[in-house]
Amino acid sequence: MELLRQTAWLLWKDLLLELRRRESLLAMFFFGVLLLFVFNFAFEIPREKAAEMAAGLLWLAFIFTGTLGLAQLYQAERENHCLEALLLSPVDRGALYLAKVSFNLLLMLPVEMVVFPLFWMLFNLEAWNLILPLFLVAFLGTIGFCAVGTLFSAVTLRARARELLLPLVIFPLMIPLILATIRAMEIVLRTGGFEEASSWLRLLIGFDVIFLTAGFLIFEWVIEA
Amino acid sequence: MRVVVDRLSKAYGYVWALKDITLELRPGECVALLGPNGAGKTTLLKLLSALLAPTQGEITLDGERLHTNSPRLRSLVGFLSPQDHVYDGLTASENLRLFTSLYGKGKNRAETEKHLEIVGLKNWADQYVGSLSTGMKCRLIIAKWLLLEPRLMLLDEPYGVLDGSGVGLLESYLRNLTSGGGVALIATHHVQRALRLCSRAIILDHGRLIFDEPKQEPWESFQRAFENFAPREERWNY
Repeated sequence: MELLRQTAWLLWKDLLLELRRRESLLAMFFFGVLLLFVFNFAFEIPREKAAEMAAGLLWLAFIFTGTLGLAQLYQAERENHCLEALLLSPVDRGALYLAKVSFNLLLMLPVEMVVFPLFWMLFNLEAWNLILPLFLVAFLGTIGFCAVGTLFSAVTLRARARELLLPLVIFPLMIPLILATIRAMEIVLRTGGFEEASSWLRLLIGFDVIFLTAGFLIFEWVIEA
Repeated sequence: MRVVVDRLSKAYGYVWALKDITLELRPGECVALLGPNGAGKTTLLKLLSALLAPTQGEITLDGERLHTNSPRLRSLVGFLSPQDHVYDGLTASENLRLFTSLYGKGKNRAETEKHLEIVGLKNWADQYVGSLSTGMKCRLIIAKWLLLEPRLMLLDEPYGVLDGSGVGLLESYLRNLTSGGGVALIATHHVQRALRLCSRAIILDHGRLIFDEPKQEPWESFQRAFENFAPREERWNY
């Protein structure tokens, strides 16, 4: 209970700061939309092929915009040595991790909610009924992305050129996640259901559980290093 | 609170910032921590607040060993660094509510406003901290520690940004803390001001403890130890 209470307060703080500054959300939103336009201009995709490529392009847009958010994730803690203030407090380090993962998730989900329908419009896709199942798959992938990203964003917190280092560290680790999300989305787009994608979905859920648990348990050593 | 530091050392890479520090801070003591730049004062404060882990040695608070992972002991230690440790994007009142909640001492708005009034910030309760002056930020941090009630208070250069009434406020807070059995350790270069309040002085130099005595008059030993690094205008005169 105490853990949840601390997590809620830390999340409240992050959301309040973001609502006032609107730095991360606006940047991610515009970058996501911009990427879609670039994809649209760059690729001459025939309508019948668009569904095959949608999964890869969408997920590419999500991880790039997500990386932009990760770079800013601890910005508030870097000002006035506020990270020190949190580390001085008796707050559970797991609560710090859960709050940052939740905050990151709450930044990425609205961007995805805008990017999905926009992609459908730009590429003239017809299967609008598949947006919700695809969004559910992307949601599972986004949880894994936030779990890994939050952890390694903290690892690189004190590093020089951390904005450059972070993608180099997290992208290789996310290969199973990226692969599983894209494959599952492709299958859902092709078949319209989850049945054939179940093995990839299981991999996604496993990845989420493992990295959320590992992140929660080791965040103390990462953040205090 | 009794604080025991036993053969404490801290190295950054190959450089020893602190070497073999042994000292005891007794309940009710207010101690001045002096020394030139780079002597290891801030490192000692960070070790005592568990922000850093020692390379060698240990610290015990009331007989319990201080680890980086000891939430109960953490809640007993305060660290005042002027301008630091408050969020610029939150209001003064929101900062107090956030930190009191994280320390498990959730206070309502009336209580936080009462403490803001004590430190002279009642009219700035809903102002963003980023818009406050450095002295006002320091007053806010004093209000924070007034609400959190630590038993060991560590202060890193607290005097530089405070005006006269701010210093009075801080000193009154520290007197109340020590009269209730708490301990205060003040790292500062404002020697005259600190020694008016403190009952004991510790001097660090190149990471080593070179002086540790209770205040007395006359205090020639302190003058001898201090004059090696003090600027002329800060010389201690008896």
